[in-house]
Amino acid sequence: MDKTISAAPSRISIGELTKISLVAALYFAVTASFAVVGFGAVQLRFSEMFNYLALYNRRYVIAVTLGVVFANFLSPTWFLDVPIGGLATFVVLLICRAVTRHIKNEIAKIAVTAVIFAVSMFTVATQLTILFDLPFFYTWLTVGAGELLSMTIGGMVVYFLGKKIDLSK
Amino acid sequence: MNNALIIGQYVPGESLVHRLDPRTKITVIFFFVFIVFLANSVVSYSVLVIFALLSMFITRIPIRFILKGLTPVWFLIVFTFILHLIVTNKGTVLMDLFGFSIYSGALIQGFAISIRFFLLILVTSLLTLTTTPIEITDAIEDMLHPLKKLRFPVHELALMMSISLRFIPTLMQETDKISKAQASRGVDFRTGPLKERIRAVVPLLVPLFVSAFKRAEELAMAMEARGYQGGEGRTKLRELKLRKRDVMILLLFIAVVAVLLVTRNY
Repeated sequence: MDKTISAAPSRISIGELTKISLVAALYFAVTASFAVVGFGAVQLRFSEMFNYLALYNRRYVIAVTLGVVFANFLSPTWFLDVPIGGLATFVVLLICRAVTRHIKNEIAKIAVTAVIFAVSMFTVATQLTILFDLPFFYTWLTVGAGELLSMTIGGMVVYFLGKKIDLSK
Repeated sequence: MNNALIIGQYVPGESLVHRLDPRTKITVIFFFVFIVFLANSVVSYSVLVIFALLSMFITRIPIRFILKGLTPVWFLIVFTFILHLIVTNKGTVLMDLFGFSIYSGALIQGFAISIRFFLLILVTSLLTLTTTPIEITDAIEDMLHPLKKLRFPVHELALMMSISLRFIPTLMQETDKISKAQASRGVDFRTGPLKERIRAVVPLLVPLFVSAFKRAEELAMAMEARGYQGGEGRTKLRELKLRKRDVMILLLFIAVVAVLLVTRNY
């Protein structure tokens, strides 16, 4: 099934290409359908859950980045969210893969990824600072804390999902 | 499948802005985002406001669609304005309100930032209101073309974007169907202990992932069976072409930038 596109030498096979496209579409569909699900005081943003997929297979780095780009076009501030959100997601997912490469324990991998994403919220804090002149460090702290909580819930969902489906294939 | 489902905010139309090449619209909006930050006076802001309102008028899109796009940000605009009134202490004291001194500089800065944000939202929303996602994808593929020399997989990226856009309505409908099916079986992730509620989300996601992977495999098989070959030599269903109107709009925008630069500090 996974034959490479023959005419132009490509590093992406047709099978990989369609899987990336469909997961990106799924990211958008799920994010748009259930934007936020409340778990008491903590919320799960379904979009955050998808970030963990990159730990299972490299293809999800591109899939999630594309999904983020599509979903961010719905935002009124898409002119910032699309380029910054897309680029930040791509870079942070690559960092997460690199940092967690040698970690064997799945829960530890998920925890490290959650912390990296929380720290990476300086991108959102920068956007808010540029647009609204808000204090950078306070904004970073509050947005990062929210992200950490949401990523923790998302990590638990993906952990259980990984037990049911082989996400690495 | 519901083909009528539109992703984003696109409003079909035949206006001049609708008929512009998507590359022209992306270029103008890209530079507009930067020049908004150059405005620093009443006159320069007025130039941008006139440009934004004129562009909005030309699209012939009912005002309610544009206001709908602004709904989520009204709170942010008002919040920022109030924050500046409280925090900024430049200029002379205009009045005392609830123990806070309102300075003239705070009022000016609050207005300037609110107008800047309003302009950004208004003008950038004109792209998504007048351009279909597939047109935006075509434009991005064309504009990224120079990156091919750096072995960036431009064609593959554009193809992935096109396939995703094609399947978003299908998967949205499927998500809705599965969530209703699971709800009818009593799945509830809104009540009960936290761990149980998290576990309850999984039966919703498993069929979605399985279905997405199945569709991906079927599509790959269909593409291979039809001898799909990407890259050079492929013809396009939708050809992008710069026309006289695109050149006119680009020249008009250059004129707006020139006027803005001249009127700064006035």
